[in-house]
Amino acid sequence: MSESLRVVRRSFLVGLGIAVGGLALGSFARAEEPGGPGAKGTAGDGLRPNVFVHVAPDGLVTIVCARSEMGQGVRSTLPALIADELGADMARVKIVQADGDKAYGDQNTDGSRSVRMDFARLRRTGAAARMMLVTAAARRWKVPAATLTARDHAVFHDATKRSLGFGELANDAAKVPVPAKEAITLRPLSELKTVGRELPLVDGADIVTGRAAFGADVRLPGMLTAVIARPPVVGGKVARHDPSKALAVKGVKRVVALPAPKPPFAFQPVGGLAVVAEDTWSAMRGRKLLEIAWEGGDNAGYDSPSYRAKLEAAVRAGGRVVRDLGDVDEALAGAKRTVEAVYHAPNLVHAPMEPPVAVAKADARSCEVWASTQNPQSARAAVAKALGLDEGAVTVHVTLLGGGFGRKSKPDYVVEAALLAREMGAPVRVQWTREDDIRHDYYHSVSAQRLVAGLDGAGKIVAWQHRTAFPPIASIFDGATYAAPGQLAQGVLDVPLSIPNVRAENCEARAHTRIGWLRSVANIYHAFAVQSFLDELAHARRMDPADHLLEVFGPPRTWSPADLGVAELPNYGQPLDEYPIDTARHRRVLERVTSLSGWRGRAAAKRALGLAVHRSFLAYVAVVVAVVKDAAGKIRVDEAWIVADCGLVVNLERVRSQLEGAVVFGLSHALYGEITMKGGATEQSNFRDFRLMRLHEAPRRIHVEVVESDAPPSGVGEPGVPPVAPALTNALFALTGTRVRELPVVRTLAV
Amino acid sequence: MTVRLRVNGIDRELDVDPETPLLWALRDALGLTGTKYGCGEALCGACTVHLDGEVVRSCVTPVRRAAGKQVTTIEGLSPDGSHPLQRAWVELGVPQCGFCQAGQIMSAAALLAKKPKPTDAEIDRSLSGNLCRCGTYLRIRAAVKKAAGEP
Amino acid sequence: MTRIPRRLAAKIRVVCGVGSVYQGGMLPKHSGGGVRLTGLALIALGCGGGGHAPAPALPVAAKNALLTPRDFSAIADRDDRARAIFVEASRVMLHPRCKNCHPAGDSPAQGDHGRPHDPPVARGPEDTGVPALECTSCHQDRNAELARVPGAPNWHLAPIAMAWEGKTPGALCAQLKDRERNGDKSLREIVEHAASDELVAWGWAPGHDREPAPGTQAAFAALVDAWVNEGAACPKDEVKR
Repeated sequence: MSESLRVVRRSFLVGLGIAVGGLALGSFARAEEPGGPGAKGTAGDGLRPNVFVHVAPDGLVTIVCARSEMGQGVRSTLPALIADELGADMARVKIVQADGDKAYGDQNTDGSRSVRMDFARLRRTGAAARMMLVTAAARRWKVPAATLTARDHAVFHDATKRSLGFGELANDAAKVPVPAKEAITLRPLSELKTVGRELPLVDGADIVTGRAAFGADVRLPGMLTAVIARPPVVGGKVARHDPSKALAVKGVKRVVALPAPKPPFAFQPVGGLAVVAEDTWSAMRGRKLLEIAWEGGDNAGYDSPSYRAKLEAAVRAGGRVVRDLGDVDEALAGAKRTVEAVYHAPNLVHAPMEPPVAVAKADARSCEVWASTQNPQSARAAVAKALGLDEGAVTVHVTLLGGGFGRKSKPDYVVEAALLAREMGAPVRVQWTREDDIRHDYYHSVSAQRLVAGLDGAGKIVAWQHRTAFPPIASIFDGATYAAPGQLAQGVLDVPLSIPNVRAENCEARAHTRIGWLRSVANIYHAFAVQSFLDELAHARRMDPADHLLEVFGPPRTWSPADLGVAELPNYGQPLDEYPIDTARHRRVLERVTSLSGWRGRAAAKRALGLAVHRSFLAYVAVVVAVVKDAAGKIRVDEAWIVADCGLVVNLERVRSQLEGAVVFGLSHALYGEITMKGGATEQSNFRDFRLMRLHEAPRRIHVEVVESDAPPSGVGEPGVPPVAPALTNALFALTGTRVRELPVVRTLAV
Repeated sequence: MTVRLRVNGIDRELDVDPETPLLWALRDALGLTGTKYGCGEALCGACTVHLDGEVVRSCVTPVRRAAGKQVTTIEGLSPDGSHPLQRAWVELGVPQCGFCQAGQIMSAAALLAKKPKPTDAEIDRSLSGNLCRCGTYLRIRAAVKKAAGEP
Repeated sequence: MTRIPRRLAAKIRVVCGVGSVYQGGMLPKHSGGGVRLTGLALIALGCGGGGHAPAPALPVAAKNALLTPRDFSAIADRDDRARAIFVEASRVMLHPRCKNCHPAGDSPAQGDHGRPHDPPVARGPEDTGVPALECTSCHQDRNAELARVPGAPNWHLAPIAMAWEGKTPGALCAQLKDRERNGDKSLREIVEHAASDELVAWGWAPGHDREPAPGTQAAFAALVDAWVNEGAACPKDEVKR
């Protein structure tokens, strides 16, 4: 593969002498590494029942966190859950971050899946260790294991007031057979001290002192830094270039051409020219001086305004029927009155505060990577493929992520670092600038939707038609132009509608840029359109929007695919019997949020409220947003209430912080967020033109309530986002009488 | 060219181009990675440090401006993480991803040094240059007030 | 007769004003958002002074250039001449590069259309920002190399008394002569400030793709100097359209 990297010219200039500091990265666990947790280990090395837990003879318990930490609190939650099940004292637990390895099971940290997918699985890892320690103690004391308990880092025989520390038992426990999955006994939930509690933030102290190590903070001896000039248009390439001015910059070592990707683009880097230098500033300076003529390629005609018109034409024309109940055409034809609206939402960019960054060290036979990645397994596979290596020859260490939101699930930037490290024969850090991040993202889809409802003579809704058009995520993998069911199950197929005739259509949309998943994904635009349209219908029917939503959700019950009018329902990868669509839960969060926000008394206030309720990632979330207009006519969000039913919650404190953050994240996009393309290239470049909510624009207060529930745990990181935008625009309608059907709001109103 | 400066109480001599932003001098040359790159345009505040007690965005501050001056980074705000802001940040669980927080804390520290009891509006004005993508703003405001001993 | 520089000769328009009326509204509204004064306004001023002088021909400056004091020598009346010269000089002061940081409110503007400064900043008690968000937290003594952040020594906001945003040339002129509202400067000190202040100089070297103020700092200073030498009369009878 390195043959495809063309070395332009070597600079003989000597740059900065970079002081090499110590790597303060904490530790990384490699499942197959001798001596690492999960290895068979040697006699006397303590207990290793699985790849997640190690009990050392000195009593130190090491627990692996196999999911990536990007602010959602997994490192503060998952190891604590394992420790709880084990009976370990967190003060004597060391948490290590796992490398990318299939031995840990799924490590992809997106889809709000960590707790909902790992809850039982991780408890079993701790429980297995506990059972082995208890068995060892039972053997030593010659008492039945059932008479022993494990707690506070020790096993107790209460009858004789004897105890043995975990460390004292570790080597004996290692000789006990590891219990089979079916034989593992979990503690009753009531015994768990982590469930529903506020757990300490394990990385808090490191973060506030600057010690926390993010991807950008990795420093290796002899490390070089690369900044890459990438084609402005996806699929474009370098036509010709002159590196001489870049090479003349002190510190710049080489300009390296990266291979142009072939469609489908998937996780390939987009190509371009890398300026590799001894330090970041020299690389940035060098890139500025590169002279490059770009070839646009197939997407160079992509303009956002004309593409929007195309999407809107698609939803007027119709598409493939994906949800069908009754006869919508007949019901619409017979309706006394129809209500119709078209909604538009723009492309968005992830813009994590830490732009993508990765460090790699490679030779002909192996590669070692440190990356701020949400998915170290896919990074490992992508690097192996790009370098022509077996996955076993690639090691991916996971640092803390300075935000992810879905961007860092796509390892294109990790592959860049690996290719350059091999080419340079030295460790290379690829640093994306903010401009790179804004201009070369896997963008959240632009979308158009058309909703039509038919009302009968009594004003009852008799028909509901929903058409959606957006370039699908699958376009990056196989060129798909129709969204897959998984994306449609995010607010089109899965919305319970107590309406006799319902039809949803999936309209064609071809992607002209890289499309990717962004926190809450297709729910963002689907919840915006559906919850806005329901508010429009409430006003058309002269009903209170809350009462109207309750009517549409209908009585408390679970909904089968047949009730929804679909053949099957992708349910975020989890079974419907365990995670049904349950309108009792829609109703409960609605009732709680209206009660907390003073919804019923809102007419007396000078501000206006808006409401939205949406189920996503198996969680039910209701949001009320209050908006006010200041003396200058500028609108601001005054207050927000968010009520979530996430099923069983482990770390209540991080759940609350995720929901608070989701409100700000959702408001920021709804008010200001927009990415536009001209000639196939992104028009925005930094926070000056991709505007984010700032402190003074945030609501004065955000009230969070997490509904107590013993339902299985749902997702948490994403579900707070979708109802925020429609709650806002519904409030804006109440305040101004203007119905905002296109996002961001700033296009329509002064905010 | 050699630039002499005092960083977190330690005299340093750097052999760098004097136009190099202080951010990269701190990160690349001195290994002080607590100060973050977020935008390179003074738009996000992740790179905030103090120069003789005043806030600067180190991503656009040439290192020559720091010559002969005291630079304080998040690593030097307190010897042991015990600055009232650092304590309040942990107690209130402010950070999510944490990437912007060093900059937020450094801005807040400069504010409290000049206005020990800031109002909400003053906090908003002084910290509106620090972006947080995770949306921790309300806890940031609360933590500043807590550190200031305000209700 | 006025000697017209050849490069401008083609643009000469001979117009006689209908009295000494400055068409104030033209100033900020002209041509594509840039502040530009046309010959019409200049000559209208030149035609004043009692209404009996013959209409002199004055050149029209290109958008990015300034007339020189000599271009005004055709105006017979000394005060009218000063007025016309001031109006020309005001093209600099009311240019976005200058007026953005002479705001009438609490925050400066950016760009060519008065967009609010981002990140949002406030002038603070000393017009240098607020704690933790001072002007010099970001602005350096020169323009940043790779970032768009502009810089010059002592970057700060003009005090509110010296606000230029939204001012007509006449109001601006009166303000400049008022020691309460000009930083307590004599007219000579104003000339000196125009000629050599480094922050003023930035207006002609704003960096990146920003449009510089018209002309040069020297040409601007020459106009201010000429205005003072001609008695520093202010444009009057402004009509806002």
